[in-house]
Amino acid sequence: MKWFRKPSSAPLWQDEFPVFTAEERYVSRRQFTKFLTLTSLAMFAGNLWILMRSILHRAPSYPRQAVAALDEVAVGGLKIFAYPTVNDPCILVRTADDSYVAYSQKCTHLSCAVYYETETKRLACPCHQGYFSIADGSVLQGPPQRPLPRVALEKRGGELVAVRLEGEGV
Amino acid sequence: MFGMEFYVDPSRCIGCQSCLKACEECDTHRGVSMINFDFVDRGETIATAAYVCWHCDNPTCAQVCPADAIKKYEDGIVGSSLKPRCIGCSNCVLACPFGIPKLIPENEQMMKCDMCYDRTSVGKRPMCATVCPSQALAYVTPETIAATRRQKPVNTFRFGNQKITTKVFMMAPADAAEIAIDVADYTWEGEHEVVPQAF
Amino acid sequence: MAKAPPLEELAALYGPHLNYTPAGGWQGESSRGSETLVKTHCCFCGQQCGIQLKVRDNRVVGFEPWEDFPFNRGMLCPKGVKRYLQGNHPDRLLDPLLRTDSGFRKATWDEALDFTARRLRELQTKYGRDSVAVYGGASLTTEKAYLMGKFARVALGTRHIDYNGRLCMVSAGVAYKSVLGVDRAPNPWNDIACAEVLMVVGANIGECAPITTDYIWRARDKGAKLIVADPRFTPIARNADLYLPVRPGTDLAMLMGMLHVIIRDGLTDREFIATNTTGFEKTAESVEPWNPRRAAEVCGVPPEAIERAAHWVAGSRRTMIMHARGLEHHSKGVENCEATVAIALVTGNIGREGAGPIMITGQGNGQGGREHGQKCDQLPGQRSLTDPAARAHVAGVWGIEPDDLPGPGYTAVEIMNAIHSGEIKGLLCVCFNPLVSLPEANFTREALERLEFFGVMDFFLSDTAAHADVVLAGSLQEEEEGVTANVEARVIHIRKAVDPPGNARRDSEIVCDLARRLGKGKYFPYHEPREIFEELRLASRGGLADYYGITYEKIDAQKGVFWPCPTLDHPGTPRLFEDGRFFHPDGKAHLMSLAWRDSGDPVDADFPVYLTTGRVVSQYLSGTQTRRIGALVDQNPEPKIEIHPKLAGPLGIKTGDWVTVTSRRNAITLQCMVVRTIRPDTIFIPYHWPGGRSANRLTHRTLDPRSKIPEFKVSACRIAKAAAPGGGSSGPGGPS
Repeated sequence: MKWFRKPSSAPLWQDEFPVFTAEERYVSRRQFTKFLTLTSLAMFAGNLWILMRSILHRAPSYPRQAVAALDEVAVGGLKIFAYPTVNDPCILVRTADDSYVAYSQKCTHLSCAVYYETETKRLACPCHQGYFSIADGSVLQGPPQRPLPRVALEKRGGELVAVRLEGEGV
Repeated sequence: MFGMEFYVDPSRCIGCQSCLKACEECDTHRGVSMINFDFVDRGETIATAAYVCWHCDNPTCAQVCPADAIKKYEDGIVGSSLKPRCIGCSNCVLACPFGIPKLIPENEQMMKCDMCYDRTSVGKRPMCATVCPSQALAYVTPETIAATRRQKPVNTFRFGNQKITTKVFMMAPADAAEIAIDVADYTWEGEHEVVPQAF
Repeated sequence: MAKAPPLEELAALYGPHLNYTPAGGWQGESSRGSETLVKTHCCFCGQQCGIQLKVRDNRVVGFEPWEDFPFNRGMLCPKGVKRYLQGNHPDRLLDPLLRTDSGFRKATWDEALDFTARRLRELQTKYGRDSVAVYGGASLTTEKAYLMGKFARVALGTRHIDYNGRLCMVSAGVAYKSVLGVDRAPNPWNDIACAEVLMVVGANIGECAPITTDYIWRARDKGAKLIVADPRFTPIARNADLYLPVRPGTDLAMLMGMLHVIIRDGLTDREFIATNTTGFEKTAESVEPWNPRRAAEVCGVPPEAIERAAHWVAGSRRTMIMHARGLEHHSKGVENCEATVAIALVTGNIGREGAGPIMITGQGNGQGGREHGQKCDQLPGQRSLTDPAARAHVAGVWGIEPDDLPGPGYTAVEIMNAIHSGEIKGLLCVCFNPLVSLPEANFTREALERLEFFGVMDFFLSDTAAHADVVLAGSLQEEEEGVTANVEARVIHIRKAVDPPGNARRDSEIVCDLARRLGKGKYFPYHEPREIFEELRLASRGGLADYYGITYEKIDAQKGVFWPCPTLDHPGTPRLFEDGRFFHPDGKAHLMSLAWRDSGDPVDADFPVYLTTGRVVSQYLSGTQTRRIGALVDQNPEPKIEIHPKLAGPLGIKTGDWVTVTSRRNAITLQCMVVRTIRPDTIFIPYHWPGGRSANRLTHRTLDPRSKIPEFKVSACRIAKAAAPGGGSSGPGGPS
C-alpha cells in the first residue's frame, strides 16, 4: 500500500482514518453494502425484464400471404416463395392431389437453401447432406439438429394462403 | 451554517440553566444535557458559565479516539461519538483541553454537544442559543455581533504549547487576540512564541 | 373541619412525584409527524414568554421555541422549557375529591358540586352572606379572573373576594394609581434596551424575570449604565456599574436620599414638574432632612454611592427605574414605590422611549388578574367598587341592580385573619396556595382547620388543598383558551392545546356549573371562554383598563394588544403618558410627602439578624407545579439559607451545615451555603417549599396599611448551628 499514498509526514493510520469526513477515502460498510445491494437489484431487475419480454412475446403475429393458386403447382412439383418477409425463403411442395406442405428453405444447420429431392421425396440440403422429412420437416439424417420451421397453409377461395410460421426460434 | 456562528459570553450568564433544560429535551439524547455548566466559585461569587463544545478546527478528541468514532463534518461541526464505534474508553474525555466530552456510563458512550445538528443543518438555531434568556449563548451572524456587542469574538486558545483554533467564538475584551490562561504563555524565552498583546 | 389527613398517605397518592419524561416517552428519530405545534404562552411568570407546545394524541409532549413572538423571541427560562411536564403527570387530579376520615375519595361532579353549593348556601343562611369568602389567583386567565369576581358578587353575594396578587403587585398598584392615576407599567419592554441609565431596585431579574436580562444587556451593549440595589448580589449585579447593598427594609431611606441629592443639586426637571405634576413641595419638604449621610446610616449604602446613583439617574433623559417584590413586600411598600415614581417624575423621566418607572409584574396574569374585579375593592376595567358610576355600568352589563353589588371586602391576609377569628366560616379557593405563600404559616394552618367549609379548585393536590372538604379537579393553562396581560400590559392569547384529562373539567365550566347550582345560572350562560371575554369587553369599556377594542383575532394579528384599547380600530397603547397627561381627572401626576417608619418586625438583641425571603430560578411561587417536575427539582432540590462568612464564621457554620433559624413566630432548620454574595447582617431563604422547609413559617403578618401586602422581605431572626438535621416533613403543615 505504501507506494499508493501521497507523500505525507503523518503516520499511515492517520491517513487511513482521517478525522475530517471530507478526507475520507474508504467507504463505510454501509456504503459498500448499499452498493452491492443496488447493483444486484439492478441486475435482477434486468433479468426480470428480459424474462417478462420473452413471456409476453410468445405469440408474434404473422401476416396472411397468398402463396399460389390451387392448381398452379403440379403434383410432385414445388414453388419457392418468401414468407413472412422477403428475407425468409420458403419452399412449397404439392405432395398429392390435395396435399400441400411448405417449409422454411433455410436449413436449420447453417442456413443453406434446401431443395426437393423428387426421387426420395425428401428435402435435402446440399451443403452437408442434411435431409428433412417432407411430411413434418423433422430431421432424417445429417448434421441439422432441429426440424425445419413449417409454414401453415390454408385453402382460401382457390388459393393457398400462408398464415403462420411454426417452430421458429426453437 | 447559513452564515451564522456560535458565540459564548460568560459575562452575560445568569446561571438560570435554561440551556441545560432545553438541551436535554432533544429526542436523540433523551434527557441528558450536553451543556457544561459551572458555578465558578459560589462561595465567592454568583458567577456562572455555560459552555458548549468548541468544535475545534483540529479536534483533539477526534485525534485521540482509538475507534475513529468522532468526525468533523464539512460544515465544521464536530459530531458526538458514533454509536456503533465508541468503546467508552474516555480518551477524548481526558484529552479535550476544554473538558467538554462526557462519558455516559449507562450507554458506555461518550456524548457531547453536536450543535443541534438536526436544527443547524436546516437553518434553525441550536436549542441552547435559542432559549438563553441573557444570550450568553448566541447564534447569530458575525455582522450582528460586530454591530451590537462591545466585546470582540476570539477563537484562538493557548494551552501550553498547544494552540487551538475553534469554530465557536468566545467573547473577550476588545483588545484580546487570544485566550491564554497560563502565565508562561506570556513570558519571553528566546524563540518561544508568546501570546500577542498590545503594549 | 378542615384538618389535613395523614401526610404520608396523601403524599403517596397525590405527590409531589417527580415527572422527568414526556408522555409516551422520549420518541427518538423514528417518530416524526403527527405532532402539532400550538402557539401559546408560558403558564408561569408575568413575562408570559411565547412558546409552542408540541401536541400528539391530545397530550402535550414537548415544546418548541416561538421565535416570532416579539417579547421573548424564542428565549425561555428553565421553567418555561419544562412546563409541559405538568401534562400527563401521575399526580394530576382526574376526578373531584370528597373528604373522608382517612383522606379523600373520588366523587362524581354532581356529588362534589352539589355538596359545595349546599354547604355554601347553608353557611350563608346561618351566618350571613359575608360568612363565605372566595380566593382567586393571578395565574388564571383574565376571563376566569373576571368570572371569579362576578361569581363572588353575583352568585354568592359576598363582599369577600380577593386573590393571591395581594401578595404581589398591590404595593406598586396602589402607588402608581395614587401618583399616576393608573396601575400599569407605563413603558413597553423594548424601552429598556433604549435606556441610558437603568436602576434595578429590589428585583432579582436574573432569577425571577430571566428574559428581561437580555433587554438590560442590550442596553449595556449600547453603553447604558446599570445600578443594582439589593441586599444580595444577584446574577445581574455582576455587570452592575454601581451596586447598592441596601439593608432589608430601608429602601425608602435610600430613595429619599437620592431625591434629596437630586433636589439639592438642582437636577430636577422644573418645567415638567410645574406643567405636569402637583405636590412637589410636599416631596421636597419631606426629603429635606434625608441627606446622604443620614440615608446611609439607615440603609447601609455608602453616601457617595447614593450621590452617584442620584446623579446618574437625574443626569439622563433616558432613565428607567425597575422594581419588583424586593421593593414592594414591605409594610411601607406603597411608599417605596411612590418614592421610585417620584424620582422618575421629578427628573422628567416618564412618558418617553427609554424613560419611566417600571413595575415588573410577577405572576403570569398578575396584570390582567388585577384589573377586572378579582380584588376586594375593584370592578372590571380597573374601576373602583365604591364609584357609583362604575357600579351602575357593571351592574348594567351583568343584568343586576347596582345595589345588589356588595361593597368592598377584606384583602387576602385579612380574609385569613377573619377565618382564624371565626368571622368567616367558608372558603372557596382557586389558584392560590395560602398555606405556603401567606406569612406565618402556622397561623394559616390553624385558620384553615377552623373553616366549616373549605373548597378548592386545582389540578394538583396542593399543600393547602390537603385541608379541603372538597377538591374540584380543574384545568391546566393549556386546557382552556383565554387571554392574559403580560408585564407590559400587552394582552395576549392563551390557546387551548389539549382537553382536560380524565374527568377533570375546564375551570370556567366548573365555576359556571357551581353558579347554576346556586341558582344564579342565568348570569353565567357561558359555554366558551370567548363568550366570557365578549362580556368582559363590555364590562371594562370606558374604564382605565379598557379592553373594548380587543378581540382574539386582533391579538393574533398584532401579536398582542396593549391596553387601553377603547375602540376596535384603536391599535392599543404601548407607552402611557406620551402627551404628558396623567390619568387623574386633573391630568397631572400627584407627588406626595414621604415619611419614614420602621419595619413591622424590628431586629433587636434577641433577633439580631435580618431575614429576607425570595425565589430561585428553577421554582415558581409555592411550588405546587414546579416541585413536581424532576429536572427543576434537581436544579434546586432543597431550600438553602444564604449566610455571609462574617456571620457564619463566629457561629462555626460552614457550607452544608444544618442551621436553625428562629423568628418571633417559629423556627425551621435547613442546610446553608456560606457565600459572600449577601449582606453580613442578613440571611436569605427561598420560600417555595412547604411544611418544615417553609420560609413563611418565620415571616410575620404585618401589612402595608394602604395595600395590605405582607412584609415578606424583612423579618427579624437569629441563627445557630443545628443540633440535628431538620427540614423534610418534620413538623405539621401539609405534605412536603
